[in-house]
Amino acid sequence: MKIDKILVSVFQRRFKSITEEMSIVLEKTTRSPILCEAKDFVTGLYDGKGKMLEQTENLPILSFSLGPVCEYIVRYFGDDIHAGDVIFHNDVFSMGNQNNDVAVYKPIFYKDKLIAWSASKGHQADVGGAVAGGYNPRATEVWQETLRIPPVKVYERGKLREDVWDLIFANIRFDIVAADMRAQIGSCVVGERGVQKLVEKYGLKVFESHKEYLFDSTEKMMRAEIKTIPNGVYRGESSVYYDGRTPGSKYKIRVKITVEDEEITFDYSDTDPQTDGFVNGTYTSSASATLLTFLQMVNPDMPHNDGMVRPVKIIIPEGTILNAKYPAATTFGNHLCPPNADAIIRALSHAIPKRVTAGWNQLLCYLTSGFDPRKKDSYVDIGFLGLKGGSGATHGVDGYDHIGMIDASGGVLDQDYEMFEQQTPHLLLHHEYWPDSAGAGQWRGGLGVETKFKIGGEKTKVVTFGDGDEEAPFGLFEGKTATLNKIELQYPDGKVYKTTSKDLVEDVPKGTILFQQAGGGGGYGNPYLRRPAQVAQEVKNGIISIEKAKEDHGVVINPETFEVDIKETEKIRKKEK
Amino acid sequence: MQYKIGIDVGGTFTDFLLTSKDGSSEIYKVLSTPDDPSMGLMEGLAEMAKARNISLKEFIKDVETIVHGTTVTTNAVLTRRGARTGLLTTKGLRDALEMRRGIREEQYNNRYTNVEPLVPRHLRFPVEERLDYKGDIVIPLREEDIFDAAKLFKKEGIEAIAICFMNSFANDAHESIAEKIIEQELGKSSPYLTVSSSFFPSIRFYDRVSTTVLNSYVGPILKGYIRSLINKLKDVGFKGVLLIMQSNGGVVSPQIAMDKAAVTLLSGPAAGPVAGIEYTSVQGYDDCLTIDMGGTSFDAALIKDKTPLVTTEGEINRLRIALPMLGIVTIGAGGGSIGWVDEGGLLRMGPQSAGSKPGPACYDLGGELPTCTDADLVLGYLDKDFFAGGKIPLNYERAERAIKEKIATPLGMNMVEAAAGMYRVINVNMASGVREVSVKRGHDPREFPLVVAGGAGPVHACMIALELEIPVMVIPKESSIFCAAGMLMSDLKHNFVRTYSTSLNKLNKKKFRSMFNEMQKEATELLRSENIPERSIQYIYSLDMRYVKQYHEVNVEMTADELERGNIESVVSKFHPEHNRLYGYSLEEVGTPIELINLRLTSIGKTTKPKFEKEKHDKLDPSDAFKKKRKVYLPLKGAFEEIPVYDGHRLRYGNRVEGPAVIEQVNTTTFVTPEYNILCDKYGSYTMYLKTKEKEIKKKVVGV
Repeated sequence: MKIDKILVSVFQRRFKSITEEMSIVLEKTTRSPILCEAKDFVTGLYDGKGKMLEQTENLPILSFSLGPVCEYIVRYFGDDIHAGDVIFHNDVFSMGNQNNDVAVYKPIFYKDKLIAWSASKGHQADVGGAVAGGYNPRATEVWQETLRIPPVKVYERGKLREDVWDLIFANIRFDIVAADMRAQIGSCVVGERGVQKLVEKYGLKVFESHKEYLFDSTEKMMRAEIKTIPNGVYRGESSVYYDGRTPGSKYKIRVKITVEDEEITFDYSDTDPQTDGFVNGTYTSSASATLLTFLQMVNPDMPHNDGMVRPVKIIIPEGTILNAKYPAATTFGNHLCPPNADAIIRALSHAIPKRVTAGWNQLLCYLTSGFDPRKKDSYVDIGFLGLKGGSGATHGVDGYDHIGMIDASGGVLDQDYEMFEQQTPHLLLHHEYWPDSAGAGQWRGGLGVETKFKIGGEKTKVVTFGDGDEEAPFGLFEGKTATLNKIELQYPDGKVYKTTSKDLVEDVPKGTILFQQAGGGGGYGNPYLRRPAQVAQEVKNGIISIEKAKEDHGVVINPETFEVDIKETEKIRKKEK
Repeated sequence: MQYKIGIDVGGTFTDFLLTSKDGSSEIYKVLSTPDDPSMGLMEGLAEMAKARNISLKEFIKDVETIVHGTTVTTNAVLTRRGARTGLLTTKGLRDALEMRRGIREEQYNNRYTNVEPLVPRHLRFPVEERLDYKGDIVIPLREEDIFDAAKLFKKEGIEAIAICFMNSFANDAHESIAEKIIEQELGKSSPYLTVSSSFFPSIRFYDRVSTTVLNSYVGPILKGYIRSLINKLKDVGFKGVLLIMQSNGGVVSPQIAMDKAAVTLLSGPAAGPVAGIEYTSVQGYDDCLTIDMGGTSFDAALIKDKTPLVTTEGEINRLRIALPMLGIVTIGAGGGSIGWVDEGGLLRMGPQSAGSKPGPACYDLGGELPTCTDADLVLGYLDKDFFAGGKIPLNYERAERAIKEKIATPLGMNMVEAAAGMYRVINVNMASGVREVSVKRGHDPREFPLVVAGGAGPVHACMIALELEIPVMVIPKESSIFCAAGMLMSDLKHNFVRTYSTSLNKLNKKKFRSMFNEMQKEATELLRSENIPERSIQYIYSLDMRYVKQYHEVNVEMTADELERGNIESVVSKFHPEHNRLYGYSLEEVGTPIELINLRLTSIGKTTKPKFEKEKHDKLDPSDAFKKKRKVYLPLKGAFEEIPVYDGHRLRYGNRVEGPAVIEQVNTTTFVTPEYNILCDKYGSYTMYLKTKEKEIKKKVVGV
């Protein structure tokens, strides 16, 4: 069949806009704040075999498992897939990335032929298991974390299977989960209609052949990108601290990256074995992390489809911390993305020094829950306010301030302060850039943030999960490291408790102050090469102290006028050289 | 006093529509003067006088109303030439403005930087004070902080100040004290001052602080511009009424615009939807879609029940502006959009534009890159000797060469195929812009007539319509100066908001009523100051509501009667279906409680509109306007064909042009594909329709 190259562009644009429409449905209709406020969800379209056509990736870490699960579903149901079916899935042992990230798949038919799939996946507020919300540091097996949902039809040929629906939601704590899953189904219906219209217009043959051409052309684009990386074998490693069970525990992620002309392989065979607790990755959460980190080093305009992943090979042996064996607990797996990214960045910094960033701030998040006497109702708040640290700097560009973990790369927003006070009984006292938190460099890291609020309400429980409180984000090429994460409870009686990175604190009294520091990102290049005028401006703006300006950058600044003392500065900078 | 003039200042041209009492109208266009836009404006007025062989002073005596759309505030933000601004804000929260809630719009791009804040950190002065979520004082205001800030602002040469404290939407006490101290220390009129609790008392701190700061940032500039304009008009003896276009689709007196400068921030395309309503309602439509394709951008809007869609989620240059404004989607597609081939070998169009300098390759001003206009030229839609009525000669060879080198050769196709591809891709891009204002908001575009405007719009309209299966289009006679025309049709319009966050079953009806009364009083006074008598004022009441624990509100209208009787239940009964329409479900049966967030009031002061001249009915046959035949590329056929070209200025009411055809006017060209016909209506607009719709359209346009 003759390919109309223009039509290929039309299809690509159309796939993208359909997934965007699917995303808007979720943003506007879901009720759990992690979905509608923080946009912790993704939508996508896949071909009849489950190959990615296009995605809208608000939170990239979720997105690259949708395709593999779709392929699994196609194999699993075989010829028992019908128009009007709706399939749920969250099982991490059949390619799911995290128990809480529950996916909905809807097959798309054209004249009795399965031609594509629409899918949406969102972080659900509860998935059953021993602890509300799913984060259970004490879990050692998957059943303590979640209700496992291997692919199951909740609608068959357009008819709701009430028994299946009831079975699932009988095992889930909050009503809003059922409502939010309905929204996800709605999103898939929007995707289904969009694809059907397209095929009706152009015919199936044209659709199929042009889709393949699109895959090939994107593959070509990715191959061209890989070709710009010098051939070689590059190694990098990073550490994962504290598995939630044994204080002081530490694990290594080791990656060997082989670049051979137009292909790249990420091999994690030397990575440490899995933990006994829930600090374990699944294959797709780890492979997603690999992909999203690598995508930041290539042309950001690349269409996202199956062609993009063809020249990329990812090897993660089962039994490692990045791909735990059944029936391990794995809820923390998405949060292994930051250390995974660190290992990749370190390895590739030798190959493409100008395209990598220094280390990013890693996620450390709090969750408060309890009773709000103002509303006479319980509340849960996932602390998006406070968790966003800085990104690492890169050649020519400073890091991004207050962006948050690399798994989201600025796709997750913090709560509006006034809405926060309407919806929780807390009083926000402080939420500002954290001065001197960024790693210094010719290009500095992004700034971290300090947050302080007074806990109101009763029966307060504080849960923490994350990392970054033991090893600070690294600098590159003489750039400096940044600062650590910290969460601290300052009790009304004056006692102070610093939480661990995976903690659960109960009976926190009213009036306690939760203080959080989200660290900055690492610096890039020698800080002595940073323009003194720029340092002076930052001192004037109060994000670098006069002391640090001198210590890190060798820039002396007059505390009255904020002008650079050129003589003194030159003297220091010369001496140190 | 017989003239009304609409004036729209664009990037390249300043457009004028002059209407007379007798119903006749004239179009003028002069080059814009970006350094002082009022110069171009005065030049246009002078041209009108000259055309009448009278002096400007004599002419201006006869001008009753001037409605002016200005982009001075927009440009001030885009080019960062606003006032040096200081912010007073609650201690501990001074970075909200710069953080923008932590978004990075391009997630995979590590070279993408944050927006420079309009107020640098050292000029965001922290003030010790704190109100809680109800507005009760938790930490009293430390007045010394305000005095210290005043000192700093004086020293730093601050030209504008914004005051925005946490939770001040619920209580203005602290902001009022701060305002008084600032006025007392720095003078009443200078610097320019915006206080969030009186300017925009609405919940959501980032939205409010960003909107308040934007107002101060552009305030002094707009004030200066309007003052100088008023003086210039006064000098030539203007005694009529001057009105300024706002982003909400209404107009406002210059005095109020100077205080609320931010209401003009996205006013550029805002008159379009208003015009769309007028041009389609004469044919009996209540709904329409409008598109406006200029040199660099493409604006799309949707109108339902003669009311343009309003949004409070606007942005300018990635800065949040939460004032109500028309929900217009703008994408980077226009005549100047550049075609390119990406690394994977796919053809793309825009968003980069060649602008007016160097412009498309065919302008022959040094542009080497192939643009949409170049493709339109080689495909035969444009006549190289009749672009802008022949004022800008187009170089065919340069267009051909650019397309060949940059598109055809890399893609391994011939030049015509490449040009046709460019034409097609940009049409798909624009169609997705239309989809964004329609499908994404739950409307089926096929049910709306498409109003096509802008110099380049009618060349592309048929293919955009085919892509979306839209059967009917309206191309106004004033298509090329669409917004200038819309301005003359706009009413005075003001928006008010108060936050009252409560569960509906705990609603205090007395408080609710008094909040509406307060807004209404303010509204009436404002319109009275604009010389609108109370009987010409219309009030629209609405509530922002949501299901408990949701994060996004749905706006539902409340009738005066419902407000009078305090009948919240009947408003709630409208909320459920509206939620269902927008988002595909409601929770009415589940019985989920509803909470209230904001009360809104819109006040409209009706202005008198120009009346357009009606033409006499002419015959069906358009041959009196026939110009010649020309080879034009027919996209669906994939080949050139000799088709008739008509002179649009000689087409008359009732004439029918059968596609394929081209209709040329001085400022725009219409390409009618073989699928469509055109019928001229009595106001000189073209109705373009699928041939299968002939009967239905004839009845609407001609009445038989």
